Amino acid sequence: MLYIIEDMINGVLMGSIYGLTAMGLTIIFGVLKVINFAHGSLLMVGMYATYWAITLTGVHPYLALAMVIPAMFIFGYYLQAIVIKPIFIAEKNVREPITVIIVTTGIWYILDNLALLVFGPQYRSLADNPLKGKMLEVGGMFVSQPKLFGFITAIITASTIHWFLQKTVMGRAIRATSMDREAASLMGINQYRIYNVAFGIGAATTGIAAVTLLPFYNVFPTVGVLFDIKCFIIVVLGGLGSISGALLGGIIIGLIESVGPQFMTATWTEAIVYGLFLLVLFVKPSGLFGQKHDW
Amino acid sequence: MNMFSRFTLPVVALSLAFGTLAVANPTTVKIGNIEPMSGPSATLGKQGKAAREMAVEEINAAGGVKSLGGAKLELIYADSESKPEKGVAEAERLINTEKVNVLTGCWNSAVTYPTTAVAERYGIPFVVPVSVSDKITDQGFKNVFRIAAKDSWWTKDQFTFLKDIQTEFGTKVETLAFVYENGDWGKGFATQWKKLAEEAGYKVVMDEPYPSTTTDLSPVVQKIKRANPDVLMLVSNAADAILLTNTIAEYKVKVKAIVASGGGHADPSFMKAVGKNAQYLFDIVEWETDVNKPGAKEANDKYKAKNGENLTGEAVDAYLAMYVIKDALERSASLEPAKIREALAATNLTNGPGMIVGYDAVKFDATGQNENASPVIVQVNDIGKGLERITIWPKNARRAGYTPVFPMPSK
Repeated sequence: MLYIIEDMINGVLMGSIYGLTAMGLTIIFGVLKVINFAHGSLLMVGMYATYWAITLTGVHPYLALAMVIPAMFIFGYYLQAIVIKPIFIAEKNVREPITVIIVTTGIWYILDNLALLVFGPQYRSLADNPLKGKMLEVGGMFVSQPKLFGFITAIITASTIHWFLQKTVMGRAIRATSMDREAASLMGINQYRIYNVAFGIGAATTGIAAVTLLPFYNVFPTVGVLFDIKCFIIVVLGGLGSISGALLGGIIIGLIESVGPQFMTATWTEAIVYGLFLLVLFVKPSGLFGQKHDW
Repeated sequence: MNMFSRFTLPVVALSLAFGTLAVANPTTVKIGNIEPMSGPSATLGKQGKAAREMAVEEINAAGGVKSLGGAKLELIYADSESKPEKGVAEAERLINTEKVNVLTGCWNSAVTYPTTAVAERYGIPFVVPVSVSDKITDQGFKNVFRIAAKDSWWTKDQFTFLKDIQTEFGTKVETLAFVYENGDWGKGFATQWKKLAEEAGYKVVMDEPYPSTTTDLSPVVQKIKRANPDVLMLVSNAADAILLTNTIAEYKVKVKAIVASGGGHADPSFMKAVGKNAQYLFDIVEWETDVNKPGAKEANDKYKAKNGENLTGEAVDAYLAMYVIKDALERSASLEPAKIREALAATNLTNGPGMIVGYDAVKFDATGQNENASPVIVQVNDIGKGLERITIWPKNARRAGYTPVFPMPSK
């Protein structure tokens, strides 16, 4: 029984971090209506930014947030403004801007290979720091401290984004654009600026996920690929465009991955995750928290 | 349309001219190399590339292949991305488009296995520096030559080592746990382990494959802790080896020994990434920098100066592969694949710059397996100069003055 509780705690903690990695993807999709295939690469860029921020300054891993969030926001903002926007404008009369998806795939390849060129193929992990390898021992149960920090960060991030989208003028403009970009434009909202901001927020959120991962994970040029597929499954499970859905989808996957191996070999949990993914697509294609109507 | 043809015609003509030149000119031998240059095993692909380049530079600087009028070796690379289908497609391309004379690769056994079949079909000799899955040389192919020991030999050596170390230190090992990546390589090892454990009378308390793309190994580590084995045996790629080693330390898993199987655990970035968490780990590898062979230190220094890292078993095998190919070309005195194949089959390489491996000769048996290949076992420990990999087994290859630490003290 104790074992199951221990595994469930790990599952919820790890799952919330998965949810956090997927949050940026769901924000960008919610507004741009485009699957960002470069999402894993954004995570990779965030992880390298975090790695260097911590390694060069020697600060507590979570202080890197102060550097990584603005850096990733600017990176995302201008990536959208310079690379993706021209395609959007060229495709503005097309209902589903498929070309943009292809452009994001291009960005994925370019970023991953740039990282390989610049940083080399080595696996890097943080030097000793106040979080690395620390465990809480509660009544014979082990709880990873870096993951606990990640869990708290994921909850705070999700609530902040929710508040931002509900209560601020910019948040309302973003929601308006995501509901109906034509109508929002008619109301005087500059949809391309909203896209830039949404992409910036998505990238910054991914940067936060990178900070939570680094104290217990390592970074290498293709690290994004490992999280990519997981992120796509999470947002489909939770509902494309839903913040709380991403968090919950992540926790579901975390629980399956963590509790599952105690009853079967670890490779089977992957099959269960994909099975659940298919089941959700069949039964409730909009996901657990997604809007039913088409945009 | 008009403009199109105006541009394409000269281009086609030019490429045709160059194409015929390359075929007619006997002064280069094209070696096609299929390696993982991107994707999860990119580090190993890069090492293989650096080692090949070092060997080929040396060979070309020393006058190339003399029996072919000083022909230079030319390396052509293709990225497998660790994907079997990519390896197969690239082999077709290298053979048909690049017209390579010899193929090498592919590090990942899962890629090498179907790719060698392509080479066999076209009759192009395929030298496998290191892909250890047994079945690669069990296909009855005539054109496949493997330099590294195959995995059934590795596993046998791991169990012999286990027996030897129990006798040496008088500590008994009764239970084993097997944890391995779920690719061809990991599953191949595990199949052998199960057979060997049964023969030797060990009890297997855990037998667990995990997906090599995993992002969290704590569930698996929890399972190891609960199974409480005497010895934990691992097969891992790089990212998962790092994750596994750190997580095992975090969860304070207590075992008498951890025996790894090279690969990720032998990756140069592994020790940097896990630090003291790797202490006392046993690892079986193709080669180690402290191996007592003439030229080994010099070759390692040269490689390190160029690439900033020590040679690895993978790199040494790739380096040796170039010398094996060169040796065969000298004897074949021909670029005809069948002649090169004959020469490779008759290989008996005992000296030269390539022979910095732990054993004394490269000689292929009827299946194309190098019958002398044998790995060594090292222990990761700090004896005053920081963490390093120290050769401990076979006992006559052990570094002078070092006593292995067994069972593992609690940290």
